[in-house]
Amino acid sequence: MSDLFTLFISALIINNVILTKFLGMCPLLGVSTKSSSAIGMGLAVIFVIFGSSVFTYLLYYSVLVPMSLEYMDLITFILVIAAFVQFVEMVLKKYSMGLYKALGIYLPLITTNCVVLYVTLDNIIKGFNFVEMCVYSLAVPAGFMLIMYIFATIRERLELANVPNAFKGNPIALIVVAIMAAIFTSFAGLV
Amino acid sequence: MEAALYIAVLGAIYGVFYYLNHITPKPAGCEELTAACNGCSLGSCGNHPSQNFELKETVK
Repeated sequence: MSDLFTLFISALIINNVILTKFLGMCPLLGVSTKSSSAIGMGLAVIFVIFGSSVFTYLLYYSVLVPMSLEYMDLITFILVIAAFVQFVEMVLKKYSMGLYKALGIYLPLITTNCVVLYVTLDNIIKGFNFVEMCVYSLAVPAGFMLIMYIFATIRERLELANVPNAFKGNPIALIVVAIMAAIFTSFAGLV
Repeated sequence: MEAALYIAVLGAIYGVFYYLNHITPKPAGCEELTAACNGCSLGSCGNHPSQNFELKETVK
Protein backbone atom coordinates (compact mmCIF):
# COMPACT_ATOMS: atom_id res chain seq x y z
CA MET A 1 0.00 0.00 0.00
CA SER A 2 2.83 2.40 0.86
CA ASP A 3 4.42 1.58 -2.49
CA LEU A 4 1.25 2.71 -4.24
CA PHE A 5 1.17 5.91 -2.19
CA THR A 6 4.82 6.56 -3.02
CA LEU A 7 4.10 5.94 -6.69
CA PHE A 8 1.14 8.35 -6.57
CA ILE A 9 3.00 11.18 -4.80
CA SER A 10 6.05 10.68 -6.98
CA ALA A 11 4.07 10.95 -10.23
CA LEU A 12 1.87 13.76 -8.88
CA ILE A 13 4.50 16.12 -7.52
CA ILE A 14 8.12 15.00 -7.63
CA ASN A 15 8.31 13.60 -11.15
CA ASN A 16 5.57 15.83 -12.49
CA VAL A 17 5.25 15.21 -16.19
CA ILE A 18 5.15 18.89 -17.16
CA LEU A 19 7.97 20.14 -14.95
CA THR A 20 10.41 17.22 -15.33
CA LYS A 21 9.68 15.84 -18.83
CA PHE A 22 8.36 19.07 -20.41
CA LEU A 23 5.51 17.20 -22.05
CA GLY A 24 2.12 18.83 -22.64
CA MET A 25 3.60 22.30 -23.00
CA CYS A 26 1.15 23.28 -25.78
CA PRO A 27 -2.02 23.00 -23.62
CA LEU A 28 -0.07 24.43 -20.68
CA LEU A 29 0.61 27.64 -22.57
CA GLY A 30 -2.54 27.71 -24.70
CA VAL A 31 -5.31 26.76 -22.25
CA SER A 32 -4.03 28.27 -19.02
CA THR A 33 -5.19 31.86 -19.30
CA LYS A 34 -8.26 31.14 -17.14
CA SER A 35 -8.41 28.81 -14.14
CA SER A 36 -11.82 27.45 -15.24
CA SER A 37 -10.36 26.41 -18.61
CA ALA A 38 -7.43 24.78 -16.84
CA ILE A 39 -9.76 22.72 -14.66
CA GLY A 40 -11.87 21.66 -17.67
CA MET A 41 -8.79 20.64 -19.62
CA GLY A 42 -7.36 18.85 -16.58
CA LEU A 43 -10.53 16.83 -15.99
CA ALA A 44 -10.67 15.83 -19.65
CA VAL A 45 -7.00 14.77 -19.55
CA ILE A 46 -7.57 12.64 -16.41
CA PHE A 47 -10.53 10.91 -18.02
CA VAL A 48 -8.82 10.21 -21.35
CA ILE A 49 -5.46 9.14 -19.88
CA PHE A 50 -7.03 6.73 -17.41
CA GLY A 51 -9.38 5.23 -19.98
CA SER A 52 -6.80 4.86 -22.73
CA SER A 53 -4.23 3.47 -20.27
CA VAL A 54 -6.59 0.69 -19.20
CA PHE A 55 -7.45 -0.12 -22.84
CA THR A 56 -3.84 -0.13 -24.05
CA TYR A 57 -2.59 -2.10 -21.04
CA LEU A 58 -5.18 -4.84 -21.58
CA LEU A 59 -4.60 -4.83 -25.33
CA TYR A 60 -0.83 -5.12 -24.90
CA TYR A 61 -0.89 -8.09 -22.53
CA SER A 62 -3.87 -9.91 -24.03
CA VAL A 63 -3.21 -9.38 -27.76
CA LEU A 64 0.26 -8.02 -28.56
CA VAL A 65 2.26 -10.26 -26.22
CA PRO A 66 0.51 -13.56 -27.15
CA MET A 67 0.87 -12.72 -30.87
CA SER A 68 4.52 -11.62 -30.41
CA LEU A 69 3.69 -8.19 -31.81
CA GLU A 70 5.22 -6.14 -28.99
CA TYR A 71 7.08 -3.98 -31.51
CA MET A 72 3.70 -2.65 -32.69
CA ASP A 73 2.99 -0.97 -29.36
CA LEU A 74 3.56 2.62 -30.52
CA ILE A 75 1.23 2.55 -33.51
CA THR A 76 -1.31 0.52 -31.55
CA PHE A 77 -1.41 3.01 -28.72
CA ILE A 78 -1.71 5.99 -31.08
CA LEU A 79 -4.70 4.41 -32.83
CA VAL A 80 -6.33 3.32 -29.56
CA ILE A 81 -5.99 6.82 -28.06
CA ALA A 82 -7.40 8.46 -31.19
CA ALA A 83 -10.31 5.99 -31.34
CA PHE A 84 -10.98 6.35 -27.62
CA VAL A 85 -11.18 10.13 -27.86
CA GLN A 86 -13.63 9.88 -30.77
CA PHE A 87 -15.72 7.37 -28.83
CA VAL A 88 -15.81 9.48 -25.66
CA GLU A 89 -16.73 12.61 -27.61
CA MET A 90 -19.56 10.75 -29.35
CA VAL A 91 -20.95 9.36 -26.07
CA LEU A 92 -20.80 12.78 -24.41
CA LYS A 93 -22.58 14.38 -27.36
CA LYS A 94 -25.32 11.78 -27.23
CA TYR A 95 -25.92 11.25 -23.52
CA SER A 96 -24.40 14.04 -21.44
CA MET A 97 -24.95 17.57 -22.62
CA GLY A 98 -23.58 19.14 -19.43
CA LEU A 99 -20.39 17.13 -19.52
CA TYR A 100 -19.96 17.78 -23.24
CA LYS A 101 -20.35 21.51 -22.64
CA ALA A 102 -17.66 21.36 -19.94
CA LEU A 103 -15.16 18.93 -21.48
CA GLY A 104 -16.12 18.38 -25.12
CA ILE A 105 -14.13 21.27 -26.52
CA TYR A 106 -10.92 19.97 -24.94
CA LEU A 107 -11.22 16.38 -26.19
CA PRO A 108 -9.83 16.96 -29.72
CA LEU A 109 -6.91 18.85 -28.13
CA ILE A 110 -6.07 15.79 -26.06
CA THR A 111 -5.67 13.53 -29.10
CA THR A 112 -2.43 15.33 -29.87
CA ASN A 113 -1.35 15.63 -26.24
CA CYS A 114 1.92 13.74 -25.88
CA VAL A 115 1.30 13.11 -22.17
CA VAL A 116 -1.35 10.52 -23.07
CA LEU A 117 1.05 8.53 -25.23
CA TYR A 118 3.81 8.92 -22.64
CA VAL A 119 1.69 7.40 -19.87
CA THR A 120 0.50 4.46 -21.95
CA LEU A 121 4.05 3.63 -23.06
CA ASP A 122 5.49 4.18 -19.58
CA ASN A 123 3.01 1.70 -18.07
CA ILE A 124 4.52 -0.99 -20.28
CA ILE A 125 8.18 0.08 -20.00
CA LYS A 126 8.08 0.20 -16.19
CA GLY A 127 6.40 -3.24 -16.02
CA PHE A 128 3.55 -2.15 -13.76
CA ASN A 129 0.89 -4.60 -12.62
CA PHE A 130 -2.74 -3.62 -13.15
CA VAL A 131 -3.21 -1.80 -9.82
CA GLU A 132 0.05 0.11 -10.17
CA MET A 133 -0.92 1.04 -13.72
CA CYS A 134 -4.27 2.43 -12.49
CA VAL A 135 -2.58 4.49 -9.73
CA TYR A 136 0.07 5.83 -12.10
CA SER A 137 -2.51 6.63 -14.79
CA LEU A 138 -4.48 8.71 -12.29
CA ALA A 139 -1.48 10.40 -10.66
CA VAL A 140 0.20 11.68 -13.83
CA PRO A 141 -2.87 13.51 -15.23
CA ALA A 142 -3.75 14.72 -11.72
CA GLY A 143 -0.26 16.25 -11.60
CA PHE A 144 -0.89 17.74 -15.04
CA MET A 145 -4.13 19.30 -13.77
CA LEU A 146 -2.46 20.57 -10.60
CA ILE A 147 0.25 22.39 -12.55
CA MET A 148 -2.27 23.70 -15.09
CA TYR A 149 -4.41 25.14 -12.30
CA ILE A 150 -1.51 26.71 -10.36
CA PHE A 151 -0.09 28.11 -13.59
CA ALA A 152 -3.49 29.52 -14.65
CA THR A 153 -3.98 31.31 -11.32
CA ILE A 154 -0.49 32.84 -11.64
CA ARG A 155 -1.24 33.95 -15.20
CA GLU A 156 -4.49 35.57 -14.08
CA ARG A 157 -2.45 37.62 -11.61
CA LEU A 158 0.16 38.38 -14.27
CA GLU A 159 -2.54 40.02 -16.40
CA LEU A 160 -2.65 42.77 -13.78
CA ALA A 161 1.11 42.96 -13.29
CA ASN A 162 3.40 45.52 -14.87
CA VAL A 163 5.41 43.19 -17.12
CA PRO A 164 7.98 44.72 -19.50
CA ASN A 165 6.86 44.59 -23.13
CA ALA A 166 9.64 42.20 -24.15
CA PHE A 167 8.46 39.64 -21.59
CA LYS A 168 4.70 39.87 -22.15
CA GLY A 169 2.90 36.68 -23.20
CA ASN A 170 4.80 33.42 -23.59
CA PRO A 171 8.24 34.66 -22.36
CA ILE A 172 6.99 35.52 -18.87
CA ALA A 173 4.88 32.34 -18.89
CA LEU A 174 7.98 30.22 -19.60
CA ILE A 175 9.92 32.02 -16.86
CA VAL A 176 7.07 31.17 -14.46
CA VAL A 177 7.23 27.51 -15.55
CA ALA A 178 11.00 27.48 -14.97
CA ILE A 179 10.57 28.88 -11.44
CA MET A 180 7.81 26.34 -10.74
CA ALA A 181 10.08 23.53 -11.98
CA ALA A 182 12.84 24.70 -9.64
CA ILE A 183 10.40 24.81 -6.71
CA PHE A 184 8.98 21.36 -7.41
CA THR A 185 12.44 19.77 -7.55
CA SER A 186 12.76 20.63 -3.85
CA PHE A 187 10.15 17.94 -3.14
CA ALA A 188 12.63 15.30 -4.31
CA GLY A 189 13.38 13.99 -0.81
CA LEU A 190 9.71 13.82 0.21
CA VAL A 191 9.23 10.08 -0.42
CA MET B 1 0.74 -10.67 -42.34
CA GLU B 2 -0.62 -10.78 -38.80
CA ALA B 3 0.75 -7.31 -38.13
CA ALA B 4 -0.84 -5.84 -41.28
CA LEU B 5 -4.18 -7.42 -40.45
CA TYR B 6 -3.93 -6.15 -36.88
CA ILE B 7 -3.26 -2.57 -38.00
CA ALA B 8 -6.07 -2.78 -40.55
CA VAL B 9 -8.51 -3.82 -37.81
CA LEU B 10 -7.38 -1.01 -35.50
CA GLY B 11 -7.56 1.51 -38.35
CA ALA B 12 -11.05 0.30 -39.22
CA ILE B 13 -12.15 0.67 -35.58
CA TYR B 14 -10.79 4.23 -35.53
CA GLY B 15 -12.54 4.97 -38.85
CA VAL B 16 -15.88 3.69 -37.55
CA PHE B 17 -15.64 5.77 -34.36
CA TYR B 18 -14.58 8.83 -36.35
CA TYR B 19 -17.55 8.43 -38.70
CA LEU B 20 -20.02 7.81 -35.87
CA ASN B 21 -18.70 10.83 -33.97
CA HIS B 22 -18.88 12.93 -37.13
CA ILE B 23 -22.55 12.11 -37.81
CA THR B 24 -23.64 12.52 -34.17
CA PRO B 25 -25.22 15.97 -33.84
CA LYS B 26 -23.95 18.30 -31.14
CA PRO B 27 -26.39 18.98 -28.28
CA ALA B 28 -28.49 22.11 -28.45
CA GLY B 29 -26.56 25.14 -27.27
CA CYS B 30 -23.17 23.54 -27.91
CA GLU B 31 -22.88 24.26 -31.64
CA GLU B 32 -20.59 27.25 -31.24
CA LEU B 33 -18.23 26.03 -28.53
CA THR B 34 -14.65 27.19 -29.03
CA ALA B 35 -11.52 26.40 -27.06
CA ALA B 36 -10.36 29.20 -24.79
CA CYS B 37 -6.96 29.03 -26.44
CA ASN B 38 -5.03 32.20 -27.19
CA GLY B 39 -2.41 30.28 -29.11
CA CYS B 40 1.05 29.07 -28.24
CA SER B 41 3.92 29.04 -30.71
CA LEU B 42 2.56 25.95 -32.52
CA GLY B 43 0.95 27.61 -35.53
CA SER B 44 0.05 24.23 -37.06
CA CYS B 45 -2.32 23.34 -34.19
CA GLY B 46 -5.98 23.33 -35.29
CA ASN B 47 -6.96 25.49 -32.32
CA HIS B 48 -4.38 28.19 -32.97
CA PRO B 49 -6.10 31.51 -33.79
CA SER B 50 -4.20 31.70 -37.08
CA GLN B 51 -6.09 28.59 -38.27
CA ASN B 52 -9.39 30.48 -38.11
CA PHE B 53 -10.49 30.50 -41.76
CA GLU B 54 -13.00 33.35 -41.41
CA LEU B 55 -10.41 35.46 -39.65
CA LYS B 56 -7.91 34.79 -42.45
CA GLU B 57 -10.47 35.84 -45.05
CA THR B 58 -11.18 39.04 -43.14
CA VAL B 59 -7.50 39.84 -42.98
CA LYS B 60 -7.21 39.40 -46.77
